[in-house]
Amino acid sequence: MSIQLEHVTYTYGQGTPFEKTALYDVNLTIHEGEFVGIIGHTGSGKSTLVQHLNGLLHPTSGTVTVNGVDLVGKTEEVKQTRHKVGMVFQYPEHQLFEETIAKDIAFGPKNLGFDEAEVERRVREAMQFVGLDYDTYAERSPFHLSGGQMRRVAIAGVIALDPDYLILDEPSAGLDPFGREEIFGEIVKLHKEKGITVILVSHNMEDISRMANRLIVMHQGQVLLDGNPIEIFHNDREKLQSAGVDVPPLSQTLQALAERNIPVNIDRVHVNEAVADIYDYLKEVHHAK
Amino acid sequence: MKQVMISTDHMSHVYQDEMGREVHALQDVSVHIHEGEFVSIIGTNGSGKSTLAKHFNVLLQPTSGTVTILGMDTKEEHLIWNIRQNVGMVFQNPDNQIVAAIVEEDVAFGPENLGVPAPEIRSRVDAALAAVNMSDYALHGPHLLSGGQKQRIAIAGVLAMKPKCIILDEPTAMLDPKGRKEVMDTVYRLNKEEGITIVYITHFMEEAALADRIIVMKQGKVIDEGAPKDVFMNVDTLKGLGLDVPVPSEIAVRLQEQGVAMPKGITTNEELGEAICQFN
Repeated sequence: MSIQLEHVTYTYGQGTPFEKTALYDVNLTIHEGEFVGIIGHTGSGKSTLVQHLNGLLHPTSGTVTVNGVDLVGKTEEVKQTRHKVGMVFQYPEHQLFEETIAKDIAFGPKNLGFDEAEVERRVREAMQFVGLDYDTYAERSPFHLSGGQMRRVAIAGVIALDPDYLILDEPSAGLDPFGREEIFGEIVKLHKEKGITVILVSHNMEDISRMANRLIVMHQGQVLLDGNPIEIFHNDREKLQSAGVDVPPLSQTLQALAERNIPVNIDRVHVNEAVADIYDYLKEVHHAK
Repeated sequence: MKQVMISTDHMSHVYQDEMGREVHALQDVSVHIHEGEFVSIIGTNGSGKSTLAKHFNVLLQPTSGTVTILGMDTKEEHLIWNIRQNVGMVFQNPDNQIVAAIVEEDVAFGPENLGVPAPEIRSRVDAALAAVNMSDYALHGPHLLSGGQKQRIAIAGVLAMKPKCIILDEPTAMLDPKGRKEVMDTVYRLNKEEGITIVYITHFMEEAALADRIIVMKQGKVIDEGAPKDVFMNVDTLKGLGLDVPVPSEIAVRLQEQGVAMPKGITTNEELGEAICQFN
Protein backbone atom coordinates (compact mmCIF):
# COMPACT_ATOMS: atom_id res chain seq x y z
CA MET A 1 0.00 0.00 0.00
CA SER A 2 1.46 3.33 -1.02
CA ILE A 3 0.96 6.65 -2.77
CA GLN A 4 2.92 6.79 -5.99
CA LEU A 5 3.68 9.77 -8.18
CA GLU A 6 5.14 9.03 -11.57
CA HIS A 7 6.51 11.81 -13.76
CA VAL A 8 4.04 14.27 -12.31
CA THR A 9 4.07 17.72 -13.91
CA TYR A 10 1.50 20.36 -13.04
CA THR A 11 0.91 23.65 -14.80
CA TYR A 12 -1.45 26.30 -13.42
CA GLY A 13 -3.53 28.29 -15.90
CA GLN A 14 -2.44 26.26 -18.90
CA GLY A 15 -3.10 28.10 -22.14
CA THR A 16 -3.46 31.48 -20.43
CA PRO A 17 -0.92 34.32 -20.12
CA PHE A 18 -0.57 33.35 -16.43
CA GLU A 19 0.63 29.85 -17.21
CA LYS A 20 3.01 28.67 -14.54
CA THR A 21 4.48 25.23 -14.05
CA ALA A 22 4.56 24.39 -10.35
CA LEU A 23 5.77 20.78 -10.51
CA TYR A 24 8.30 19.30 -12.90
CA ASP A 25 8.52 15.55 -13.42
CA VAL A 26 8.14 14.54 -9.78
CA ASN A 27 8.66 10.86 -8.94
CA LEU A 28 7.86 9.83 -5.43
CA THR A 29 6.60 6.85 -3.44
CA ILE A 30 5.16 7.31 0.02
CA HIS A 31 4.87 3.98 1.81
CA GLU A 32 2.30 3.03 4.37
CA GLY A 33 3.48 3.73 7.93
CA GLU A 34 5.94 6.46 7.05
CA PHE A 35 6.07 9.86 8.74
CA VAL A 36 7.12 12.18 5.95
CA GLY A 37 8.05 15.83 6.40
CA ILE A 38 7.83 18.10 3.35
CA ILE A 39 9.67 21.39 3.52
CA GLY A 40 10.35 24.16 1.05
CA HIS A 41 9.92 27.91 0.81
CA THR A 42 6.79 29.61 -0.56
CA GLY A 43 6.42 28.81 -4.24
CA SER A 44 8.57 25.67 -4.06
CA GLY A 45 5.59 23.54 -5.08
CA LYS A 46 4.97 21.76 -1.79
CA SER A 47 1.30 22.74 -1.53
CA THR A 48 0.70 21.87 -5.17
CA LEU A 49 2.36 18.53 -4.51
CA VAL A 50 0.20 17.57 -1.53
CA GLN A 51 -3.00 18.59 -3.32
CA HIS A 52 -2.21 15.84 -5.82
CA LEU A 53 -2.12 13.21 -3.10
CA ASN A 54 -5.89 13.15 -2.61
CA GLY A 55 -6.98 14.18 -6.06
CA LEU A 56 -7.72 17.85 -5.36
CA LEU A 57 -5.47 18.52 -8.32
CA HIS A 58 -4.84 16.15 -11.21
CA PRO A 59 -1.43 16.17 -12.88
CA THR A 60 -1.10 17.94 -16.23
CA SER A 61 0.99 14.93 -17.19
CA GLY A 62 2.05 11.84 -15.27
CA THR A 63 0.02 9.75 -12.81
CA VAL A 64 -0.82 9.65 -9.12
CA THR A 65 -1.98 6.36 -7.65
CA VAL A 66 -3.16 5.69 -4.11
CA ASN A 67 -3.04 2.02 -3.12
CA GLY A 68 -2.79 1.25 -6.82
CA VAL A 69 -5.83 3.32 -7.88
CA ASP A 70 -5.30 6.19 -10.33
CA LEU A 71 -7.06 9.24 -8.88
CA VAL A 72 -8.28 10.55 -12.23
CA GLY A 73 -11.90 9.70 -12.86
CA LYS A 74 -15.12 9.60 -10.90
CA THR A 75 -15.75 5.90 -10.41
CA GLU A 76 -16.85 4.55 -7.04
CA GLU A 77 -13.38 3.08 -6.57
CA VAL A 78 -11.71 6.46 -7.08
CA LYS A 79 -14.12 8.09 -4.61
CA GLN A 80 -13.49 5.43 -1.97
CA THR A 81 -9.76 5.75 -2.47
CA ARG A 82 -9.78 9.54 -2.11
CA HIS A 83 -11.48 9.12 1.27
CA LYS A 84 -8.44 7.20 2.43
CA VAL A 85 -6.37 10.36 2.20
CA GLY A 86 -7.38 12.93 4.81
CA MET A 87 -6.28 16.52 4.40
CA VAL A 88 -5.96 19.12 7.15
CA PHE A 89 -5.48 22.48 5.47
CA GLN A 90 -3.66 25.48 6.87
CA TYR A 91 -5.68 27.18 9.58
CA PRO A 92 -8.31 24.42 9.53
CA GLU A 93 -10.25 26.21 12.29
CA HIS A 94 -11.42 28.67 9.63
CA GLN A 95 -13.40 25.84 8.10
CA LEU A 96 -15.47 25.06 11.18
CA PHE A 97 -19.09 25.94 10.49
CA GLU A 98 -21.55 23.87 12.53
CA GLU A 99 -23.53 24.86 15.62
CA THR A 100 -21.92 22.28 17.85
CA ILE A 101 -18.56 20.59 17.98
CA ALA A 102 -20.11 17.12 17.60
CA LYS A 103 -22.06 18.18 14.50
CA ASP A 104 -18.99 19.69 12.95
CA ILE A 105 -16.94 16.52 13.40
CA ALA A 106 -19.89 14.40 12.21
CA PHE A 107 -20.14 16.27 8.90
CA GLY A 108 -17.57 14.13 7.10
CA PRO A 109 -18.67 10.65 8.20
CA LYS A 110 -22.33 11.60 7.61
CA ASN A 111 -21.50 12.53 4.03
CA LEU A 112 -19.81 9.18 3.59
CA GLY A 113 -23.23 7.69 4.31
CA PHE A 114 -22.67 5.97 7.65
CA ASP A 115 -25.69 5.37 9.91
CA GLU A 116 -26.23 7.50 13.00
CA ALA A 117 -24.75 5.01 15.46
CA GLU A 118 -21.56 4.66 13.43
CA VAL A 119 -21.28 8.44 12.99
CA GLU A 120 -21.59 8.95 16.72
CA ARG A 121 -19.05 6.23 17.43
CA ARG A 122 -16.58 7.90 15.11
CA VAL A 123 -17.22 11.36 16.56
CA ARG A 124 -16.66 10.06 20.09
CA GLU A 125 -13.51 8.26 19.10
CA ALA A 126 -12.10 11.25 17.19
CA MET A 127 -12.84 13.63 20.07
CA GLN A 128 -11.23 11.30 22.55
CA PHE A 129 -8.24 11.05 20.29
CA VAL A 130 -7.63 14.78 20.16
CA GLY A 131 -8.22 15.12 23.90
CA LEU A 132 -11.66 16.77 23.90
CA ASP A 133 -14.00 15.21 26.44
CA TYR A 134 -17.24 14.23 24.65
CA ASP A 135 -19.62 15.02 27.51
CA THR A 136 -18.04 18.41 28.12
CA TYR A 137 -17.57 19.61 24.57
CA ALA A 138 -19.95 17.78 22.21
CA GLU A 139 -22.82 20.26 22.50
CA ARG A 140 -20.73 23.42 22.70
CA SER A 141 -20.21 25.84 19.86
CA PRO A 142 -16.83 25.40 18.17
CA PHE A 143 -16.52 29.17 17.85
CA HIS A 144 -15.98 29.83 21.54
CA LEU A 145 -12.89 27.65 21.83
CA SER A 146 -9.29 28.81 21.93
CA GLY A 147 -7.29 28.70 18.69
CA GLY A 148 -5.53 25.48 19.68
CA GLN A 149 -8.80 23.77 20.65
CA MET A 150 -10.52 24.85 17.43
CA ARG A 151 -7.69 23.32 15.50
CA ARG A 152 -8.11 20.07 17.41
CA VAL A 153 -11.80 20.02 16.48
CA ALA A 154 -10.85 20.49 12.83
CA ILE A 155 -8.32 17.68 13.00
CA ALA A 156 -10.91 15.47 14.73
CA GLY A 157 -13.22 16.10 11.76
CA VAL A 158 -10.63 14.56 9.46
CA ILE A 159 -9.75 11.71 11.83
CA ALA A 160 -13.46 10.79 11.94
CA LEU A 161 -13.16 9.88 8.26
CA ASP A 162 -10.74 7.16 9.39
CA PRO A 163 -8.09 7.89 6.75
CA ASP A 164 -5.08 5.67 6.02
CA TYR A 165 -3.03 8.70 5.07
CA LEU A 166 -3.18 12.06 6.80
CA ILE A 167 -1.78 15.22 5.20
CA LEU A 168 -1.30 18.26 7.44
CA ASP A 169 -0.35 21.64 5.99
CA GLU A 170 1.45 23.77 8.62
CA PRO A 171 -0.57 22.41 11.55
CA SER A 172 1.28 24.48 14.15
CA ALA A 173 1.18 27.90 12.43
CA GLY A 174 0.04 30.64 14.78
CA LEU A 175 0.08 28.49 17.90
CA ASP A 176 2.21 29.25 20.95
CA PRO A 177 4.84 26.69 22.06
CA PHE A 178 2.35 24.85 24.33
CA GLY A 179 -0.23 24.68 21.55
CA ARG A 180 2.43 23.39 19.18
CA GLU A 181 3.47 20.64 21.57
CA GLU A 182 -0.17 19.61 22.01
CA ILE A 183 -0.88 19.33 18.29
CA PHE A 184 2.36 17.53 17.58
CA GLY A 185 1.78 15.15 20.47
CA GLU A 186 -1.50 14.17 18.85
CA ILE A 187 -0.03 13.74 15.41
CA VAL A 188 2.73 11.48 16.74
CA LYS A 189 0.06 9.50 18.60
CA LEU A 190 -1.99 9.07 15.42
CA HIS A 191 1.07 7.77 13.65
CA LYS A 192 2.16 5.43 16.43
CA GLU A 193 -1.14 4.13 17.77
CA LYS A 194 -3.37 4.17 14.72
CA GLY A 195 -0.59 3.47 12.26
CA ILE A 196 -1.73 6.34 10.05
CA THR A 197 0.78 7.44 7.43
CA VAL A 198 1.51 11.10 8.14
CA ILE A 199 2.60 13.68 5.59
CA LEU A 200 3.50 16.91 7.34
CA VAL A 201 4.10 20.12 5.41
CA SER A 202 6.03 22.70 7.41
CA HIS A 203 8.42 25.63 7.28
CA ASN A 204 9.88 24.52 10.54
CA MET A 205 12.88 22.28 10.18
CA GLU A 206 13.05 21.73 13.92
CA ASP A 207 9.57 20.20 14.05
CA ILE A 208 10.24 17.95 11.09
CA SER A 209 13.63 16.76 12.29
CA ARG A 210 12.09 15.82 15.63
CA MET A 211 9.17 13.78 14.28
CA ALA A 212 9.56 12.65 10.70
CA ASN A 213 11.56 9.62 9.64
CA ARG A 214 11.79 10.91 6.10
CA LEU A 215 12.33 14.43 4.79
CA ILE A 216 11.47 15.70 1.34
CA VAL A 217 12.83 19.11 0.39
CA MET A 218 11.04 20.82 -2.48
CA HIS A 219 12.72 23.48 -4.56
CA GLN A 220 11.51 25.11 -7.78
CA GLY A 221 8.90 22.45 -8.40
CA GLN A 222 11.24 19.51 -7.96
CA VAL A 223 12.35 17.17 -5.22
CA LEU A 224 15.74 18.56 -4.20
CA LEU A 225 16.47 16.17 -1.33
CA ASP A 226 14.77 13.02 -0.06
CA GLY A 227 16.02 10.98 2.88
CA ASN A 228 16.56 10.70 6.61
CA PRO A 229 16.15 14.19 8.15
CA ILE A 230 19.16 13.98 10.44
CA GLU A 231 21.42 12.78 7.65
CA ILE A 232 20.19 15.45 5.26
CA PHE A 233 20.70 17.98 7.96
CA HIS A 234 24.23 16.83 8.50
CA ASN A 235 25.30 16.34 4.90
CA ASP A 236 23.34 18.84 2.85
CA ARG A 237 23.35 21.99 4.92
CA GLU A 238 24.37 24.16 1.97
CA LYS A 239 21.74 22.70 -0.33
CA LEU A 240 19.12 23.32 2.34
CA GLN A 241 20.10 26.93 2.65
CA SER A 242 20.12 27.39 -1.11
CA ALA A 243 16.53 26.07 -1.10
CA GLY A 244 15.60 28.87 1.30
CA VAL A 245 14.88 26.51 4.17
CA ASP A 246 15.39 28.03 7.57
CA VAL A 247 17.93 26.27 9.76
CA PRO A 248 16.82 25.81 13.40
CA PRO A 249 17.98 28.62 15.76
CA LEU A 250 20.28 26.33 17.76
CA SER A 251 22.11 25.27 14.59
CA GLN A 252 22.47 28.92 13.61
CA THR A 253 23.98 29.72 17.00
CA LEU A 254 26.33 26.74 16.88
CA GLN A 255 27.44 27.64 13.38
CA ALA A 256 28.16 31.21 14.46
CA LEU A 257 30.26 29.86 17.36
CA ALA A 258 32.07 27.39 15.11
CA GLU A 259 33.02 30.27 12.81
CA ARG A 260 34.80 31.86 15.75
CA ASN A 261 36.79 28.63 16.17
CA ILE A 262 34.93 27.63 19.30
CA PRO A 263 34.93 23.81 19.16
CA VAL A 264 31.20 22.95 19.33
CA ASN A 265 29.39 20.00 17.79
CA ILE A 266 27.10 21.65 15.25
CA ASP A 267 24.81 18.60 15.05
CA ARG A 268 23.45 19.12 18.55
CA VAL A 269 19.65 19.37 18.69
CA HIS A 270 19.27 20.15 22.41
CA VAL A 271 20.44 23.34 24.07
CA ASN A 272 21.70 21.45 27.15
CA GLU A 273 24.12 19.38 25.06
CA ALA A 274 25.48 22.53 23.45
CA VAL A 275 25.88 24.12 26.89
CA ALA A 276 27.83 21.05 28.06
CA ASP A 277 30.12 21.29 24.99
CA ILE A 278 30.86 24.95 25.65
CA TYR A 279 31.33 24.34 29.36
CA ASP A 280 33.89 21.60 28.69
CA TYR A 281 35.71 23.85 26.25
CA LEU A 282 35.85 26.74 28.74
CA LYS A 283 37.15 24.39 31.42
CA GLU A 284 39.95 23.28 29.11
CA VAL A 285 40.83 26.89 28.29
CA HIS A 286 40.90 27.65 31.99
CA HIS A 287 43.20 24.71 32.80
CA ALA A 288 45.55 25.57 29.96
CA LYS A 289 46.15 29.00 31.47
CA MET B 1 10.50 63.71 27.64
CA LYS B 2 8.73 62.00 24.77
CA GLN B 3 4.97 62.25 24.50
CA VAL B 4 2.95 59.30 25.81
CA MET B 5 1.38 57.54 22.83
CA ILE B 6 -0.65 54.86 24.58
CA SER B 7 -1.49 54.67 28.23
CA THR B 8 -3.68 52.24 30.13
CA ASP B 9 -4.52 52.89 33.75
CA HIS B 10 -5.70 49.98 35.95
CA MET B 11 -7.59 48.70 32.96
CA SER B 12 -9.64 45.50 33.00
CA HIS B 13 -11.70 43.75 30.37
CA VAL B 14 -14.38 41.29 31.39
CA TYR B 15 -16.77 39.44 29.11
CA GLN B 16 -19.21 36.59 29.48
CA ASP B 17 -18.58 33.28 27.79
CA GLU B 18 -21.32 31.17 26.23
CA MET B 19 -22.07 29.49 29.56
CA GLY B 20 -22.66 32.91 31.12
CA ARG B 21 -19.49 32.84 33.20
CA GLU B 22 -17.36 35.94 33.57
CA VAL B 23 -14.02 35.77 31.85
CA HIS B 24 -11.37 38.24 32.99
CA ALA B 25 -9.42 38.71 29.77
CA LEU B 26 -7.42 41.61 31.21
CA GLN B 27 -6.92 42.46 34.86
CA ASP B 28 -5.60 45.74 36.21
CA VAL B 29 -3.27 46.44 33.32
CA SER B 30 -1.25 49.66 33.46
CA VAL B 31 1.18 50.15 30.59
CA HIS B 32 2.64 53.28 29.00
CA ILE B 33 4.04 53.37 25.51
CA HIS B 34 5.91 56.48 24.40
CA GLU B 35 6.09 58.09 20.98
CA GLY B 36 8.79 56.51 18.83
CA GLU B 37 9.07 53.38 20.98
CA PHE B 38 9.16 49.83 19.62
CA VAL B 39 7.34 47.65 22.13
CA SER B 40 6.83 43.93 21.76
CA ILE B 41 4.09 42.03 23.61
CA ILE B 42 4.62 38.32 24.23
CA GLY B 43 2.51 35.69 25.98
CA THR B 44 0.83 32.38 25.20
CA ASN B 45 -2.50 32.02 23.36
CA GLY B 46 -5.15 33.32 25.72
CA SER B 47 -2.78 35.51 27.76
CA GLY B 48 -4.71 38.62 26.73
CA LYS B 49 -2.13 40.18 24.42
CA SER B 50 -4.46 40.51 21.42
CA THR B 51 -7.28 41.73 23.65
CA LEU B 52 -4.93 44.39 24.99
CA ALA B 53 -3.89 45.47 21.50
CA LYS B 54 -7.53 45.73 20.39
CA HIS B 55 -8.04 48.37 23.07
CA PHE B 56 -5.38 50.54 21.46
CA ASN B 57 -7.46 51.41 18.43
CA VAL B 58 -10.84 51.07 20.12
CA LEU B 59 -11.90 47.74 18.68
CA LEU B 60 -12.61 47.05 22.34
CA GLN B 61 -13.28 49.30 25.30
CA PRO B 62 -12.24 48.59 28.88
CA THR B 63 -14.76 47.30 31.41
CA SER B 64 -13.04 49.36 34.08
CA GLY B 65 -10.03 51.67 34.16
CA THR B 66 -9.04 53.86 31.24
CA VAL B 67 -7.17 53.66 27.95
CA THR B 68 -5.90 56.92 26.50
CA ILE B 69 -4.28 57.38 23.11
CA LEU B 70 -2.33 60.66 22.74
CA GLY B 71 -4.33 61.91 25.68
CA MET B 72 -7.69 60.93 24.14
CA ASP B 73 -9.89 58.65 26.26
CA THR B 74 -11.14 55.71 24.15
CA LYS B 75 -14.50 55.85 25.92
CA GLU B 76 -15.27 59.21 24.29
CA GLU B 77 -17.32 58.14 21.25
CA HIS B 78 -16.58 61.33 19.27
CA LEU B 79 -12.82 60.71 19.50
CA ILE B 80 -12.88 57.17 18.09
CA TRP B 81 -12.18 58.13 14.48
CA ASN B 82 -9.48 60.53 15.50
CA ILE B 83 -7.84 57.75 17.54
CA ARG B 84 -8.09 55.19 14.75
CA GLN B 85 -6.46 57.60 12.33
CA ASN B 86 -3.49 57.79 14.66
CA VAL B 87 -3.31 54.10 15.48
CA GLY B 88 -3.30 51.67 12.56
CA MET B 89 -3.67 47.93 12.94
CA VAL B 90 -2.23 45.01 10.97
CA PHE B 91 -3.58 41.51 11.62
CA GLN B 92 -2.28 37.98 11.23
CA ASN B 93 -3.92 36.86 8.02
CA PRO B 94 -2.88 38.88 4.97
CA ASP B 95 -5.80 37.54 2.94
CA ASN B 96 -8.37 39.01 5.33
CA GLN B 97 -7.08 42.55 5.06
CA ILE B 98 -6.92 43.22 1.36
CA VAL B 99 -10.07 44.66 -0.21
CA ALA B 100 -9.21 45.82 -3.74
CA ALA B 101 -8.20 44.02 -6.92
CA ILE B 102 -5.18 46.27 -7.58
CA VAL B 103 -2.43 46.90 -5.05
CA GLU B 104 -2.47 50.71 -5.25
CA GLU B 105 -6.26 50.83 -4.99
CA ASP B 106 -6.06 48.75 -1.87
CA VAL B 107 -3.56 51.13 -0.32
CA ALA B 108 -5.78 54.08 -1.33
CA PHE B 109 -8.82 52.61 0.44
CA GLY B 110 -8.02 54.17 3.83
CA PRO B 111 -7.28 57.75 2.73
CA GLU B 112 -10.25 57.67 0.30
CA ASN B 113 -12.54 56.88 3.22
CA LEU B 114 -11.03 59.73 5.18
CA GLY B 115 -12.02 62.09 2.35
CA VAL B 116 -8.45 62.99 1.47
CA PRO B 117 -8.27 64.99 -1.84
CA ALA B 118 -7.28 62.93 -4.89
CA PRO B 119 -3.81 64.42 -5.57
CA GLU B 120 -2.91 63.94 -1.94
CA ILE B 121 -4.11 60.30 -2.08
CA ARG B 122 -1.79 59.74 -5.04
CA SER B 123 1.22 61.05 -3.17
CA ARG B 124 0.33 59.17 0.02
CA VAL B 125 -0.08 55.88 -1.85
CA ASP B 126 3.22 56.31 -3.67
CA ALA B 127 5.03 57.18 -0.45
CA ALA B 128 3.44 54.27 1.44
CA LEU B 129 4.37 51.74 -1.26
CA ALA B 130 7.90 53.11 -1.39
CA ALA B 131 8.19 52.82 2.40
CA VAL B 132 7.46 49.07 2.25
CA ASN B 133 9.53 48.51 -0.90
CA MET B 134 6.51 47.56 -3.00
CA SER B 135 6.44 50.41 -5.55
CA ASP B 136 7.09 48.00 -8.40
CA TYR B 137 3.91 46.13 -7.56
CA ALA B 138 1.54 49.15 -7.54
CA LEU B 139 -0.46 47.85 -10.51
CA HIS B 140 -0.35 44.14 -9.66
CA GLY B 141 -3.22 42.02 -8.40
CA PRO B 142 -2.74 41.39 -4.67
CA HIS B 143 -3.86 37.75 -4.97
CA LEU B 144 -0.72 36.93 -6.97
CA LEU B 145 1.65 38.20 -4.29
CA SER B 146 3.44 36.14 -1.64
CA GLY B 147 2.33 36.27 2.00
CA GLY B 148 5.19 38.58 2.96
CA GLN B 149 4.36 40.93 0.10
CA LYS B 150 0.67 40.94 1.05
CA GLN B 151 1.51 41.85 4.62
CA ARG B 152 3.67 44.70 3.36
CA ILE B 153 0.70 45.92 1.28
CA ALA B 154 -1.45 45.76 4.42
CA ILE B 155 1.19 47.84 6.23
CA ALA B 156 1.25 50.31 3.30
CA GLY B 157 -2.54 50.61 3.57
CA VAL B 158 -2.15 51.60 7.20
CA LEU B 159 0.74 53.98 6.41
CA ALA B 160 -1.40 55.82 3.86
CA MET B 161 -3.59 56.91 6.76
CA LYS B 162 -0.49 58.62 8.22
CA PRO B 163 -0.75 57.05 11.66
CA LYS B 164 1.64 57.89 14.49
CA CYS B 165 1.50 54.32 15.73
CA ILE B 166 1.04 50.87 14.17
CA ILE B 167 -0.16 47.82 16.10
CA LEU B 168 0.81 44.51 14.52
CA ASP B 169 -0.90 41.38 15.88
CA GLU B 170 1.28 38.40 14.94
CA PRO B 171 1.87 39.75 11.43
CA THR B 172 4.33 36.99 10.55
CA ALA B 173 2.51 33.95 11.97
CA MET B 174 1.33 32.79 8.55
CA LEU B 175 4.51 33.60 6.65
CA ASP B 176 7.53 31.57 5.63
CA PRO B 177 11.01 32.54 6.88
CA LYS B 178 11.66 34.84 3.91
CA GLY B 179 8.31 36.61 4.29
CA ARG B 180 8.88 36.99 8.01
CA LYS B 181 12.19 38.69 7.42
CA GLU B 182 10.68 41.06 4.81
CA VAL B 183 7.95 42.16 7.21
CA MET B 184 10.27 42.42 10.20
CA ASP B 185 12.80 44.53 8.27
CA THR B 186 10.00 46.83 7.08
CA VAL B 187 8.59 47.33 10.56
CA TYR B 188 12.03 47.94 12.04
CA ARG B 189 12.84 50.54 9.38
CA LEU B 190 9.52 52.36 9.83
CA ASN B 191 10.30 52.66 13.53
CA LYS B 192 13.91 53.76 13.18
CA GLU B 193 13.63 55.96 10.08
CA GLU B 194 10.07 57.31 10.16
CA GLY B 195 9.80 57.39 13.94
CA ILE B 196 6.51 55.48 13.93
CA THR B 197 5.61 53.96 17.27
CA ILE B 198 5.35 50.17 16.98
CA VAL B 199 3.43 47.72 19.14
CA TYR B 200 4.37 44.24 17.96
CA ILE B 201 2.66 41.08 19.18
CA THR B 202 4.53 37.89 18.39
CA HIS B 203 5.37 34.33 19.35
CA PHE B 204 8.77 34.57 17.71
CA MET B 205 11.37 35.57 20.26
CA GLU B 206 13.97 36.57 17.70
CA GLU B 207 11.47 39.19 16.51
CA ALA B 208 10.67 40.37 20.05
CA ALA B 209 14.42 40.73 20.64
CA LEU B 210 14.50 43.67 18.18
CA ALA B 211 12.14 45.77 20.33
CA ASP B 212 13.21 48.51 22.74
CA ARG B 213 10.99 46.98 25.38
CA ILE B 214 9.11 43.72 25.90
CA ILE B 215 5.86 43.33 27.83
CA VAL B 216 5.17 39.76 29.03
CA MET B 217 1.51 38.81 29.57
CA LYS B 218 0.04 35.89 31.48
CA GLN B 219 -3.62 35.23 32.17
CA GLY B 220 -4.63 38.81 31.50
CA LYS B 221 -1.90 40.42 33.57
CA VAL B 222 1.41 42.05 32.80
CA ILE B 223 3.95 39.91 34.64
CA ASP B 224 7.21 41.34 33.34
CA GLU B 225 8.37 44.34 31.42
CA GLY B 226 11.79 45.58 30.35
CA ALA B 227 14.53 45.65 27.72
CA PRO B 228 14.91 42.33 25.83
CA LYS B 229 18.33 41.75 27.37
CA ASP B 230 16.79 41.88 30.85
CA VAL B 231 13.54 40.03 30.13
CA PHE B 232 15.31 37.14 28.36
CA MET B 233 17.51 36.51 31.40
CA ASN B 234 14.47 35.00 33.15
CA VAL B 235 14.80 31.81 31.13
CA ASP B 236 12.95 29.53 33.53
CA THR B 237 10.05 31.96 34.05
CA LEU B 238 9.51 32.35 30.31
CA LYS B 239 9.82 28.62 29.67
CA GLY B 240 7.40 27.97 32.52
CA LEU B 241 4.91 30.22 30.75
CA GLY B 242 5.29 28.10 27.64
CA LEU B 243 7.34 30.68 25.77
CA ASP B 244 10.64 30.27 23.99
CA VAL B 245 13.81 32.15 24.81
CA PRO B 246 16.39 33.12 22.17
CA VAL B 247 19.00 30.35 22.01
CA PRO B 248 22.03 32.60 22.78
CA SER B 249 20.27 33.97 25.89
CA GLU B 250 19.48 30.49 27.12
CA ILE B 251 23.02 29.22 26.59
CA ALA B 252 24.49 32.26 28.38
CA VAL B 253 22.15 31.86 31.36
CA ARG B 254 22.80 28.10 31.63
CA LEU B 255 26.57 28.69 31.58
CA GLN B 256 26.15 31.32 34.27
CA GLU B 257 24.25 28.82 36.40
CA GLN B 258 27.22 26.48 36.14
CA GLY B 259 29.50 29.16 37.50
CA VAL B 260 30.87 30.62 34.26
CA ALA B 261 31.26 34.40 34.57
CA MET B 262 29.17 35.29 31.51
CA PRO B 263 28.21 38.95 31.04
CA LYS B 264 24.50 39.71 31.55
CA GLY B 265 22.11 40.63 28.77
CA ILE B 266 23.25 38.40 25.88
CA THR B 267 20.57 38.07 23.19
CA THR B 268 22.45 37.56 19.90
CA ASN B 269 24.82 34.93 18.51
CA GLU B 270 27.49 37.62 18.05
CA GLU B 271 27.31 38.65 21.71
CA LEU B 272 27.48 35.01 22.81
CA GLY B 273 30.48 34.31 20.55
CA GLU B 274 32.31 37.38 21.81
CA ALA B 275 31.61 36.53 25.44
CA ILE B 276 32.99 33.01 25.01
CA CYS B 277 36.07 34.27 23.16
CA GLN B 278 36.80 36.61 26.09
CA PHE B 279 37.98 33.58 28.02
CA ASN B 280 40.79 32.90 25.59
